[in-house]
Amino acid sequence: MWIEMTLNGKPVAVEAPPDISLLDLLRDYLNLTGTKEGCAVGECGACAVIMDGRLVNSCMVLAPQAHGSEVITIEGVHGPDGGPNDLQQNFIEYGAVQCGICIPGMIMAGEALLMHNPNPSRQEIRMGLAGNLCRCTGYQQIVDAIEATAKGRQKG
Amino acid sequence: MSAFDYVRAGSIEEAVALLGDPQWVSQPLAGGTDVMVQARHGPVHFQRLVDVSRIPEMKVIARHGDEIYIGAAVTYTEIMESRLLQETATCLVEAARLVGGPAIANAGTLGGNVGNAAACADGTPPLVCLDAVAHVRNLAGQHAVPVAELITGPHQTALQRGDLITHFTFPVAPAGARSVFLKLGRRNAQAISRLSVAAAGALGGNGRITFARLAPGSALSRLRRFTEVETMLIGEEPHQALFEAAGAQASHVMELATGRRWSTEYKEIALHGLVARALRAIFLNPEN
Repeated sequence: MWIEMTLNGKPVAVEAPPDISLLDLLRDYLNLTGTKEGCAVGECGACAVIMDGRLVNSCMVLAPQAHGSEVITIEGVHGPDGGPNDLQQNFIEYGAVQCGICIPGMIMAGEALLMHNPNPSRQEIRMGLAGNLCRCTGYQQIVDAIEATAKGRQKG
Repeated sequence: MSAFDYVRAGSIEEAVALLGDPQWVSQPLAGGTDVMVQARHGPVHFQRLVDVSRIPEMKVIARHGDEIYIGAAVTYTEIMESRLLQETATCLVEAARLVGGPAIANAGTLGGNVGNAAACADGTPPLVCLDAVAHVRNLAGQHAVPVAELITGPHQTALQRGDLITHFTFPVAPAGARSVFLKLGRRNAQAISRLSVAAAGALGGNGRITFARLAPGSALSRLRRFTEVETMLIGEEPHQALFEAAGAQASHVMELATGRRWSTEYKEIALHGLVARALRAIFLNPEN
């Protein structure tokens, strides 16, 4: 079936079977491999994307459910020059990235949090990341990076 | 060859017609948080998923007189963000906050939680505590079933093929009533409930308890109000010893129903504590 959506700001139309996840649609049919598969059952958040303004696990969205939606993946998050944006730069500076597989989901969760709550407390940042598992960092640096980004964006 | 087909319904009438089509074994799809896991672990029992997640009438949260109306496709995030539910169904809002991280709360729906009927579901004890009724549509018409009767056991419901839960209603609790939801999980966030308690209560002008509701989750094979505990609270003055007695009674009721199982040693202490803590939060410590 044909699935049409706005993907990272651009309209796309793709033909795909009706029984695959949005995660598989992104990776296998649209070659956007920045979105990672971790557990594939909604526990780890590595596949998180923003759909119609809300964070979702793309492994739990049936691909045709995204028809007519606006989807942002990690490929749609970058600075004006195409390099890292402020959140991604802070992940680097605060040492929030080790093996890296959780990071696309962490960035999407961080961006989704800051969209809805531009000035989160550390506790709110932790709740915003509650569905994202990281086995390397122990989370502190990730929370630090999101907190620094929120402060930076507040200053403008 | 696809394992199943997908069709999106634009209205309740369309969804009911699609679900009732005898040529297909269809199942409703909303947030996908359970169905997608089943599809992954396959094989699936359905031939077609009917997407009901965008049906406008199923997204409504409203008050009609003394009754609260919640569409079955309302998500946990929408429950959390509803001022009406914050005021009239605190236990449901607290359960929605605890159900999982943001990505799960943004997708999972109340109708899906009831239809899936997991024993550890967080949305169902508050509905039973609030005496909620599920409204079910199919090609034959519409009927209403109390949530406590609709869910007949772990992952078992009275729903038949072709049925769609369209919405839930429950009566507004008496003036001054408060409700809470407490949950024991292995961690604070995105945890499956080991045990939970939804409770509600109100005091009369004389300072005695006039209204009490208690619905533990993950405690019995079939969810129900613990009226044996509620009746011992009515007419009493709220105090710690009463809450401890209520906790002990709740554990006793659970053990009578389930027998002593491998988990009883843990659950009897945990349920006692959760019930006492819930009652304390309702009657003694409005800020907690």
